[in-house]
Parts: sequence; C-alpha cells; structure tokens
Amino acid sequence: MDANLVFIVAAFAIVWGALLAYLISLRARGA
Amino acid sequence: MTETTIPRGNTLPRIRPWLGIAAAASFVVASVMALFWAPTDAVQGDVYRILYVHVPLAWLAYLAFVIVFLASVGWLWTKRPFFDAVAVASAEIGVLFTGLFLVAGSIWAKPTWGVWWTWEPRLVTTAIMFVMYVGYLLLRGLSTDFSRRATRAAVFGIIAVIDVPIVHLSVLWANSLHQLPTVLRAAGSPALDSSMLLTLMVSLFAYTLIYAYFMSARVSLERARQGRLWTQI
Repeated sequence: MDANLVFIVAAFAIVWGALLAYLISLRARGA
Repeated sequence: MTETTIPRGNTLPRIRPWLGIAAAASFVVASVMALFWAPTDAVQGDVYRILYVHVPLAWLAYLAFVIVFLASVGWLWTKRPFFDAVAVASAEIGVLFTGLFLVAGSIWAKPTWGVWWTWEPRLVTTAIMFVMYVGYLLLRGLSTDFSRRATRAAVFGIIAVIDVPIVHLSVLWANSLHQLPTVLRAAGSPALDSSMLLTLMVSLFAYTLIYAYFMSARVSLERARQGRLWTQI
C-alpha cells in the first residue's frame, strides 16, 4: 500500500464532497 | 432598467437532466480510471493521482473566468440580463473550482515538496486569482440597483481575467517550484504517458460536463431571481 494513500484519499474526498455540497446547495436554492 | 429586456424562459431546464446523467456517468468512469486504471508514476508513486482532480479543476477554473470575461463584455455591449446571469454563475463556479484545486494542490505538495504551501509564483498568482473572484462576488452585493451592479461587476470581470494567463505562464516567467506545463505547452506534444494522458482527458471531459451542469442550474436560478426582481418593479 502506498505510504501517501491518506493524501490521495483526502484530496479526492474533499473535491467530491465539495462538488456534492455545491450540488445540494443548488437544489436547496430551487434549481 | 429601461434599457434591459425582461427575462424569458429558456431551454436549459429541459436538457439539464440529461446533462446531469452524462456528467455523473463520465465522473464515475474518470474516477475509476484515475484511481485504479492509470499506471503508477515511476517517480512519485500513486500520490501523483491527485493530478486527475487538480489539473481538470484548474483548467475549468480558467475557462469559468474566461466565460465571466465574455459574459461581462456581452452585458456591457447589449445590456441583456442573460449575460449578467452567466457571468455571476461562472464566477461562483470558478471560485469553487479554484478553491478546490488550491486545496488538492496543497495536499499534493505536502508529500512531494514537503510543505503544504510555499510562496512561489504559481501558487501566489493562483491565490490572487481566487481572492479577486471572491471580491467579484462580494462587489455584486454592494448595490441593489440591477444595472449598476451588473455594470460594476462586468468592468471588474473584464479586468480580472488578466490574471488567468499570468497564472498559467507564471511557471515559465519566474523560477518556480511548481511543475512546468505538461500538456498545454508550446514545445511539442504532451510530456505524459499515453494512458495517463487518456485518463487526464477523460477527467477533463467529466469535469467539463460537471461545469456545464452547474452552469445550467446556476444560470436558471439567477434568471428566476432576475424575473422576481422585475415583477417587484
């Protein structure tokens, strides 16, 4: 297992999470 | 207000579900390719895979701010509110993407450079770009008059785009710790393994569809807000 796995997981999780949060915010605003 | 036209319905809501499905499907394919299919880098190991979110987000942020510029010119030229809606939508999404590629880049920097952040040209010019467009969004809150707000924002949106080529070329103009351009470079073909390049292109395609989906939703929101504004007058 790559020693830097935590950095890969963190980067992808933050990007995916933020995109999902923005999508939810658009829906909440009525889009 | 008299020079502007009343917002009307558009075709964006009709194509949006299909755009969403295409964006979600390509996003899944791009993520699987980035995490499992693309080969491990000989020098960096697997941590280089952050490239597959970092680079597409950066390119789409550039595109978003160029769209702000074009829409700003469109507003000043025609005074059609549609252009102002496109400008604010693209600026908001551009700020989101810039924030995300800064964070992803910072996470990538720690295991490769040994630091989360360093004051080198690419990072500084990118941080300036981020702050400028946050300022653009804040500027829009300073006036309640639609035309005045749109015109001020358009002037700012036209000036601020100057930072986009500065960010991209900063690694060539100054002695930079950041990697030089690998794909969009003047000297010949991309300096990247073919399967890595394919994964990057699929990721770029997926994030482009996500940008388009977000734009269709955000522009519709802004048009609806403009419609409510007009009915109050």
